[in-house]
Amino acid sequence: MKIRYLLLHAYGMGGTIRTVFTQANALAAAGHDVRVVSVVRRADKPYFTLDPRVRLTALDDRRAGAGRVPPRPGRGAGRLRARRAARLAARPPRWVPPGESGYGAFDRGLERKLVSYLAQLTDGVLVTTRPALNLLSARFATGGVVRVAQEHMNLGVHQDDVRAAIARWYPRVEAISVLTHRDQDDYRVAAPGARVERIPNAVHSLKQKPSTCAGRIAVAAGRLRPQKGFDLLIPAFAEVAGEFPDWQLRIYGEGDRRKQLRKLIEKHHLYNQVFLMGKTDQLDEELSKASFYVLSSRAEGLPMVMIEAMAHAVPVVSFDCPTGPADVLTHGTDGLLVPPGDVGGLAGAMRRLMADEALRARMGDAALATVQGYAPEVIGRRWSELFEELLAGRRGR
Amino acid sequence: MSGHAEIDEVWPRDGRLRLVGRLHGPPPGHAARGALGRLRTRTAEAREWSVQFVLREDRGRPWRLRYPARLDGARFDVTLPVADLAPEALRLPARWDVWLADGSARLRAGRFLDGVTGKKEIMVFPGQSVSRTDTAVLVRPYYTVKDNLSVEVRPKR
Repeated sequence: MKIRYLLLHAYGMGGTIRTVFTQANALAAAGHDVRVVSVVRRADKPYFTLDPRVRLTALDDRRAGAGRVPPRPGRGAGRLRARRAARLAARPPRWVPPGESGYGAFDRGLERKLVSYLAQLTDGVLVTTRPALNLLSARFATGGVVRVAQEHMNLGVHQDDVRAAIARWYPRVEAISVLTHRDQDDYRVAAPGARVERIPNAVHSLKQKPSTCAGRIAVAAGRLRPQKGFDLLIPAFAEVAGEFPDWQLRIYGEGDRRKQLRKLIEKHHLYNQVFLMGKTDQLDEELSKASFYVLSSRAEGLPMVMIEAMAHAVPVVSFDCPTGPADVLTHGTDGLLVPPGDVGGLAGAMRRLMADEALRARMGDAALATVQGYAPEVIGRRWSELFEELLAGRRGR
Repeated sequence: MSGHAEIDEVWPRDGRLRLVGRLHGPPPGHAARGALGRLRTRTAEAREWSVQFVLREDRGRPWRLRYPARLDGARFDVTLPVADLAPEALRLPARWDVWLADGSARLRAGRFLDGVTGKKEIMVFPGQSVSRTDTAVLVRPYYTVKDNLSVEVRPKR
């Protein structure tokens, strides 16, 4: 089966890129012909690891100097073409809605390149990975390729113009895929008549070092932004810090709220117990030291770091925020769910786990059982089944 | 491995600085090997330990502050008025390095056993304000790039 993934920038380091690579790698390992097409290229090598069997190409190489040799400033057709290209590059895109958060990465020239790429696809499967690419695929990839539009964000975060375009165009693709049950419902309403599938992201590996859950370390991770709710987590931890003075809370990540969070730590005199750890390239190692993971977000897509933590047999305390945690967790089995924004409730749930090592170990084991469903091979199989079904439907028409 | 004083807690609040920690590993000259070593280790408790603040870059005028640290096993728990670290005669900015010492051995205080690297940016403590006649200063404990504990004194902005 021929499968193409279209990414805006496959050489970057975002969560979407990581999960798409995990999918591509699993499908290549299963023997499929997998390609990743990057709309632009700004780096020599991709940040995440791609299976050598996956072919990686770019539509527009924007590395300094690379492949962008301007045509000789001579006369005639060459000069006209160069002028026209420059004119197009200076114009905004025609089809990408301005409310799309990636709008700034597009110009009219790039958009045209993309449209002609999409228009010549006649076979196999094309998977697009963000609204701008999904919308262009729905409009222009009409030559016979099976189109799957992936949504890595929940519908609620999209601007009105993007939502209007989704309602208009998404029903034309063969399938929309989302990460959570809540999104499945939302996109069915937003794009009436569209086929909406729910396939969660896979963890990058299930062969992880398990935590013993015997230590005195709680871990949280995410960008230091209001969405992640660390400003709720710190006061919640303050409620139990005195009772459990040998426990630490380690918060991994960077962001523009570092200063405010530091103030909050000082206000609650938590500087001996709560640490802003910054970025780490050893998150797996750090998760294996955790005795539980805390998710204090106000909203989530599918919280991947939480699922990664569970792969280390680490139980979870989480706000039951829209949309992700409850899709994964069963309250009382592999973690504890707390009403969203309930700081006292979050403190209470942490207290329960901190006081009971046996409970942590039991829930940690259950967490590890839960994430078996998120193994790359399991998720890869769900994708190939979907693709095969869609291809069969096309042939049958 | 030579010994050090492992810091567990630093409490800069209410005009005081409180340091809690424990001696770790054999102090230099007190190898815990053999009967004599064990005897020495046992007597370490009886000897007079103190927390010492040693002025760095003291321009040839060694300056040190001593606070008795009665050991409970290997554990120490010492509190001092933070104003002590900002005397009028102190030239700013200044840094005090923290040591644990008895008459013969001197152990640097730091935090090495928790596997966290880069504490300077991670385990950050608030400064406390101290008024001097000329200006207000800020006294702030911090971990150095080598994870040792020091205290900086600088004019308050």
